[in-house]
Amino acid sequence: MTAVALPRLSRRRPARVLRIEIRRSVALWAVPLLLALFYCDSFRTAAGFPPIWTVRSSVITDNMIADFGPLAAGLAAWVASREGRRKTGDLIATTVRPAWARQASALGATLFWLLLAYLAGVAAIYIDTAMQATWGGPPLWPVAAGVVEVVTFAVIGFTAGALFPGRFTAPLAAIGTFLLAEIGFHAALQVEPDRSTYALLSTATSVPLSDDGVFYRVAPDLAITQVMFMAGITVALLGVLTLAPVFRLSYRGLLSGVSRAGRWLCVAGVALLAVGAAAAATGVALAGTAKLSVSGWDIPALHDAASDQPVPYTPDCAGTSFQVCVHPAFSGFLASANAALQPVASEIAGLPGAPVRAEEVPSGEGVRAAQGILLAGLPAAGLSGTPPVYRYNSDDGLAPFMGSPAGTDNAGWEAGFRQNFLTAFVAGPPRAGQGADASVAQPTAAQQAVITALMTAVGSAAPQFGEDMSNGGPTAGATPAQIAAAAQRFASLSPAARHAWLAAHLAALRAGTITLAQLP
Amino acid sequence: MTAAEVRTPSSVPAPSAPAWRAVPGARLVWLHWRSRRVPAAVLALAVCGGVLCAALRLQWTFNSGHFAQELPMIVEGGAAAVLVITTHSPFGEAERTASRWLPSLRLGTALAMTGLAIGILQLGVTGVSLDGGILVLARNVLGVTGIGLLSSLVTGGLLAWILPMGYIAFAEYALLQSWTSPWTWPVRPPDDRGAWLCACLLFAIGLAAFTIRGARTRLADDS
Repeated sequence: MTAVALPRLSRRRPARVLRIEIRRSVALWAVPLLLALFYCDSFRTAAGFPPIWTVRSSVITDNMIADFGPLAAGLAAWVASREGRRKTGDLIATTVRPAWARQASALGATLFWLLLAYLAGVAAIYIDTAMQATWGGPPLWPVAAGVVEVVTFAVIGFTAGALFPGRFTAPLAAIGTFLLAEIGFHAALQVEPDRSTYALLSTATSVPLSDDGVFYRVAPDLAITQVMFMAGITVALLGVLTLAPVFRLSYRGLLSGVSRAGRWLCVAGVALLAVGAAAAATGVALAGTAKLSVSGWDIPALHDAASDQPVPYTPDCAGTSFQVCVHPAFSGFLASANAALQPVASEIAGLPGAPVRAEEVPSGEGVRAAQGILLAGLPAAGLSGTPPVYRYNSDDGLAPFMGSPAGTDNAGWEAGFRQNFLTAFVAGPPRAGQGADASVAQPTAAQQAVITALMTAVGSAAPQFGEDMSNGGPTAGATPAQIAAAAQRFASLSPAARHAWLAAHLAALRAGTITLAQLP
Repeated sequence: MTAAEVRTPSSVPAPSAPAWRAVPGARLVWLHWRSRRVPAAVLALAVCGGVLCAALRLQWTFNSGHFAQELPMIVEGGAAAVLVITTHSPFGEAERTASRWLPSLRLGTALAMTGLAIGILQLGVTGVSLDGGILVLARNVLGVTGIGLLSSLVTGGLLAWILPMGYIAFAEYALLQSWTSPWTWPVRPPDDRGAWLCACLLFAIGLAAFTIRGARTRLADDS
């Protein structure tokens, strides 16, 4: 009898199995659909945002997850249920490779195509942003959170498919994860500190402020917590998959099941389950401590105080006697902002309190709360300082720096910008209206007439003032027709006469003591 | 044993079967349904109805406005994705060549499952306010089922859920962007004629094509 040398299992075998799985993966056929969805939804949404890195990267964890997550879960469930659907479990159980190795290859191949498509989408968004952005660089935490979320969705689906093999498992897994993502999105729209743990654990967000991450860095605290939570779920589910053979053999007794499945595998499964559950629970606990700050959501245990410091920058300015300045991230909007403000600035030049400069300031609840100026909806914008400076933010209600800078090339945007500027000058600091839920009060009738006249004088479209009839009459104390007639009267004066009247009566006009009838 | 004994009918009674199964037509339908896993599909549709009921009763979504349609739309599209999986035949070519009743069975099963899906989902929302009501619910199920039936001609029944899910993901985007095209019928109001036309046309085309050709069957279909 001769000893026959049995060929040793090559170390390359797992890689070969993975290669075969990748080549034959059903996920490959879903890639065109994923890319089409990505273009129609995520890419177009990102292209509609201003070219600010933080703002555009919000699509990576929001729209892209809605596109990729459910299909990732469904496809992974389909792949995992293969052995169960074909009823080949007993046949494959006799092969030399353990079940976890087969499953790892199948899951790895599915993730390969899904992550390849996902990262290709991220690259497309970032390349498009890089070609338009004038400041900053690509944030990486959203990419990390997005990748981990796609993996988590896939592992949820894979676990469902492995434990409940059947033809309906895949669509049900897709629907279930889709619902989870959308519920997270709805929660994110109503997020409140201390009360919205699930909303904070979801990577979905509402449309961010257009200067998010511009004046202050976005702290990675929340992204770290989200990654910890989702990675914990993933690891715990991998532990469940590792222990699945033990559960199936339990009718013969747990001990014999452990013996057959391999003790080390059971130990590994229990360890994965424990570590994953601990990480996910830690994520939940950390999210519960989140509070809003200048750098976004601040989680005390993870927070680096250095991220609360303003990011230094040199503003981009235009103009000479009256300067219009924007943050360099919004350089694309400078020409439009300058063209809008210069004519009205020259109309009021030399008047008491006339601004010498307009500059962009941070917007956002976090920033305002930290500055102690979050008061009954009053915006931080307005005239202040000596010499007076007009401060506006990119989320201004009438003419925000949203969308492409090319979108500002219209009369409506220009008129909105001018109206805000003149309102701050003529009506003074914003005043809260009456009542518990009052917003900023409208200027008085005389103030509205003067603003309208000044805008008409520079050839601008008429301003739009809100009309509150809740008290039985217009808030401004006059009808729109009366205000328009007074404005026409005032605009028909010569520039010198207007200037002289304003110089004499500006204080009274700001105080609200001038009536329509007193206007010349 | 003589030939006479063979010719004599046995006095041993045949295994008892329900009376309705003894009717050849009913038995054929039942066997067709079982081969398509229709009972499991009904269970899956019931799960969808339960989820929709829970989503509305527990207020997982907004009650009105654009966002109110998001979750119901996912469940309605999901129910359609589930029911198109019943188009898969485990017998392949053999069944096509042997059964002249097959197109009728396909047509009847697809219609019955679509009606059942609408009925079960409507049952799930009984007593709660569903934005758009049963009209939007029925239109979504019809249209997405049409996509699924057409998809089953290319991908086979087992993978026919992928395209409907993709459409629903796109419809979510269209909803938030307030699209008005008729082919984005899930975002249109209940009485929008164009949306109804698109959804019904797609369902009719899908149903006709599926009835005539059946879902794609091949050995590698169950991959």
